[in-house]
Amino acid sequence: MPTTGSLSRYLAKVRHRTRGLSSVAAVAAGGLLGSAARVAIGEWIPTSETGFPAAVVSVNLAGSFFIGFFLARRERSVGRRLSLQFWAIGVLGSFTTFSTFSVDLFQMLSAGRPLTALGYLAVSICGGLGLALGGQRIGAAIR
Amino acid sequence: MMVVVGVWIAGAAGAVSRYLISGWVHQFVRVDFPSGTLAVNLAGSLGLGLIAGSDPFESTLVVLAVGFLGGFTTFSTLMIETIRLGLNSPLTLLNLTATVVGGLALAAVGYTLTS
Repeated sequence: MPTTGSLSRYLAKVRHRTRGLSSVAAVAAGGLLGSAARVAIGEWIPTSETGFPAAVVSVNLAGSFFIGFFLARRERSVGRRLSLQFWAIGVLGSFTTFSTFSVDLFQMLSAGRPLTALGYLAVSICGGLGLALGGQRIGAAIR
Repeated sequence: MMVVVGVWIAGAAGAVSRYLISGWVHQFVRVDFPSGTLAVNLAGSLGLGLIAGSDPFESTLVVLAVGFLGGFTTFSTLMIETIRLGLNSPLTLLNLTATVVGGLALAAVGYTLTS
């Protein structure tokens, strides 16, 4: 698997080779677990009094780290394709979320809190990129 | 409890929809750009905007919003695909800007339409 180039392109190739019900089942099972974990963490981490969505930030940052880590580990060993579909697309794909991020940003802006929105944006994107890169490095470094 | 189980199942349905739709979009667009993930994240932002503007505490809509759209859209794939575009590539900034600005705009459109 190349370390540059889009994951979609790679996934499209994988998808081409493993069509069928088994890959859909792997994504569905992973999606169920990822969503359940996201909801559980959402209940566990309350939104702070300042209205900062700490739970969404936490799942998105943790998920970004683990997808970097997982894909780097996978490059070191010939994993099964279904494990990519289960973990990367199913579990981590559903654990993290973008729709809530967009709507949260909109609601912060329309509530007249542009600084909160800017902080949320910066922490999510810069933190997510940094953690995904860090996850990749750590995953590649571990024997 | 019904809502919780509904959210889990909807999360699985959202993940499968993302997998299939992003694959189709990516095959259709035929460029080395994560267009599939962009498409699902934009569509999901519009969908959640529509729900947020109407009645976000109604239980069917909670299942749709938290389960389906939560699982349909993804942040981790956005991050890893952005990195894989290469941090020096102009496509990196394009991908982030299109996703974030487009998602915000579509959330606003959805919210305004139903509120």
